[in-house]
Amino acid sequence: MTTPLLTVENLTLNYRTGGDPVQALRGVSLTARAGEVLGIVGESGCGKSTLAATLMGLAGTNAEITDGAVSFRGENILTAREETRRKLRGKHIAMVFQDPMTAFNPVLTIGAQLVDFQHNSGTPKRQRHSAARDMLDRVGIPDPDICMGRFPHELSGGMRQRAAIAAALLMQPEILIADEPTTALDVTMEAQIIHLLRNLQSDYDGAIIIVTHQLGVIAQLCDRVVVMYAGQVVEEADVDTLFHAPRHPYTKALIACDPASLSIKEKRLPTIGGRPPDLAHPPAGCAFADRCAQVEPICRTAAPPRVEIGPDHIAKCHEAWS
Amino acid sequence: MSSGANRGIFRSLMRDPMGAFGLILVVAFLIMALAAPWIAPYDPLKISITERFQPPSLAHWAGTDQLGRDLLSRIIFGARTALSIAMTAAGIAGGVGLLLGMIAGYGPRWLDAFLVLMFDSMSSLPMIMFALAVITVVGPGTGTLILVVVLVSIPGYARLIRAQTLSLGSADFILAERVMGASSARILARHLLPNVVGPLVIVLSMDIPVIIMLEAGLSYLNLGVRPPIPSWGNILYDGYTSLRAAPSMVLIAGLPLVLATLGFTFLGEGLRDAIDPKLKVRVPR
Amino acid sequence: MSALLELDRLSVDLSISRWPLRTTLNILSDITLTLARDETVGLVGESGSGKTTLGRALLGLQHISAGTVRFDGTPLKTAADFDRIRPRTALMFQDAVASLSPRMTVGEAVTEPFRIHNRPMPDWRARAAELLEEVGLPADMASRYPHELSGGQARRAGVARALALKPDLVIADEPTAGLDVSVQAEILNLMADLKDRYGLSYMVITHNLALVRHVADRIAVMYLGRLVETGPTAEVFSNPAHPYTGSLIAAEPKPDPRKRRTDLAIKGEIPSLIRRPSGCEFHGRCPLATARCRTEAPALRDIAPGRKARCHFAETYQKQGA
Repeated sequence: MTTPLLTVENLTLNYRTGGDPVQALRGVSLTARAGEVLGIVGESGCGKSTLAATLMGLAGTNAEITDGAVSFRGENILTAREETRRKLRGKHIAMVFQDPMTAFNPVLTIGAQLVDFQHNSGTPKRQRHSAARDMLDRVGIPDPDICMGRFPHELSGGMRQRAAIAAALLMQPEILIADEPTTALDVTMEAQIIHLLRNLQSDYDGAIIIVTHQLGVIAQLCDRVVVMYAGQVVEEADVDTLFHAPRHPYTKALIACDPASLSIKEKRLPTIGGRPPDLAHPPAGCAFADRCAQVEPICRTAAPPRVEIGPDHIAKCHEAWS
Repeated sequence: MSSGANRGIFRSLMRDPMGAFGLILVVAFLIMALAAPWIAPYDPLKISITERFQPPSLAHWAGTDQLGRDLLSRIIFGARTALSIAMTAAGIAGGVGLLLGMIAGYGPRWLDAFLVLMFDSMSSLPMIMFALAVITVVGPGTGTLILVVVLVSIPGYARLIRAQTLSLGSADFILAERVMGASSARILARHLLPNVVGPLVIVLSMDIPVIIMLEAGLSYLNLGVRPPIPSWGNILYDGYTSLRAAPSMVLIAGLPLVLATLGFTFLGEGLRDAIDPKLKVRVPR
Repeated sequence: MSALLELDRLSVDLSISRWPLRTTLNILSDITLTLARDETVGLVGESGSGKTTLGRALLGLQHISAGTVRFDGTPLKTAADFDRIRPRTALMFQDAVASLSPRMTVGEAVTEPFRIHNRPMPDWRARAAELLEEVGLPADMASRYPHELSGGQARRAGVARALALKPDLVIADEPTAGLDVSVQAEILNLMADLKDRYGLSYMVITHNLALVRHVADRIAVMYLGRLVETGPTAEVFSNPAHPYTGSLIAAEPKPDPRKRRTDLAIKGEIPSLIRRPSGCEFHGRCPLATARCRTEAPALRDIAPGRKARCHFAETYQKQGA
């Protein structure tokens, strides 16, 4: 087992609203290790994007962290000074967004921006230029020299996402967080970006964190997976165990209702039914109880325990063993 | 536009202190204008030579002018002149601009090209020169003033509405109406109109003080409202000519202008923030 | 089964004039496709393949340059012809929220078709509640505004409006785009139920292959504005005849870590319409391309009963795949 690069412990975050605060993260713990791809999967509103933003130190101004720690190489970045955090963001942790258009300044060429991103690397401009060019080449852009002179809007969605990945990798971060990196893309571009990220992993010794709602992307790309529901981690396992021996009823239901997991045409797809709970007033018991097929009386009254099923396999469920 | 949406706008307008202040000022001026004959303590035209250049007193709260007329009464009636001119002009210009802008934005491309050419050539005329030319031809007066303001402001409103219509015309909900088989008239009236009037109302509200100022300016130059009809511009002019005899007159005559400008501008800005931010209304200024 | 919709050699050209230059872009060419009553056809392709344009052209929202659209046996030529069939056709939009008028309540929006076509509606509130109930939305949703709805709710409202007049043909543009997996399954089940109840025919436009495999009876694959393969869904998926179809199927990220692809399923990007490749337009990305493919354009030809493909080597490709 490799050393942990980034540890999240019992992270609890509320969003201040007009009424009761929304408890977006309710005691999230996870670890990202060097050399592995960690997947964070869940449906909208489960807190995965809030988590990604908090890891970058970019939680919004109405967010309030009430408990927990995010440690990078042993240092809690939540309590670090803004100066330290900014350095961390640029140099050690980088992020790729769903819409790469927003990551670039529309009036500057890709090349100019990639050169500028390295401003505190201390290398001469010539060298930064060639580093940018080489990085574009490495992420599979066909004519890197031409691409350097292009403006963001002149690139296709797939190429822009490659350029965004290149920009993120330029500073050789130890942690690369990708928030829905393929959601805005076609199947063919999605396959190419997955292929690219997987190839990157082989000669990159940092950690890659993929945040997505697509199970296909998780299965194709990740080594270890964290499943989130209603602001909590409900299951954590290596990818094969998660897809072939899931223990949490939510994970099971999620995999079952993905049309991509059915190989034959069926009249009706299985569904989960119901809606996630209102996080301004989360239930006392298990947050999934109202939608769960295996629900027992205890699920409605007591919060489920973190059950260790095996090494690296954890499920937050009263019935994890049944 | 449904009443529910309007109530929401009003509520968020009142939550914003600037917007609420603007609304109160504007409503106060409107009441002043409408109820002038009842609230004015004196006849604004009544000359009383013996009471010339009185300073503010209990009998004359704002004092009197060079002909002994009660200034407060003249200012109250002046509000009537100012607001009726400004709102008539803004109403006509806004209405015509709305119509032309929607036709240009939703109609056939050749008509759009023609109308845009018209707007551009209209707004390329220098405003003051144009105003003076019209006054020379038609002669000064309230009607001329309104005509000048209307002609000068139509292109701006029409362009604003055209831009809004163009961007909404390709929106999915308009396409959805077409797929359902709605006629162009229905799309324009039921779906485009309620979504484009918002920004126009904001711009109009912010333009009313500009028109009031223009009226005051032209009246000051004796090219607008003819004396003895009380207008803020006329009062200001009288104040200037009697600056030595009664220095307070200029200040008192200038105050309503400043307050009206502030009121309408704050109201416009408040409205801009209150109108559904989901629509991403941007008012080019 | 009689044909409800017949497209015969349909072409859409777009003339781009920047004086003094004038170019004609061939957006759709030579589309021949039929949709039988009670049938669901899946129209598949990457963005830029012309699938959305086709959906709009057959509703008369896009000027048709050549070819005919026949609806229920009647050719549609003029705008008046298309207007006549409006109550019998409906379009479900990819962005459901944007397709609802922002200043109309959901109740007003779903009853809008009745008003447009002057259909009797004694009590519009009751009708709205009825329509909403049919798509599984509570009646009090009628007084909400579109921006207050979740993605799934807006999608349901869109379905309610599309089905208000009980049309014969529904064109669904990416009906599940942007939805969570569990909500996706609910919408698909809803569409299936309504199809059974009212005998609808669907044309589903999507780049999501899992969706098409699940809902479509027949599939039509588009590339650069042309059909490259048509046939029954199960047959096409089990043994694709066009290399492009095969690549699309292979590129789909399977939600199973044991079925990981290590190679790249499809390389490159869809070419620009301005520079259509010579010969077979797929040759630049095709694993089988030969000298013949670069010069000679293949025709869409019958390769088996009910199946067509636009490839010189369809039979060879099928044999290889099997």
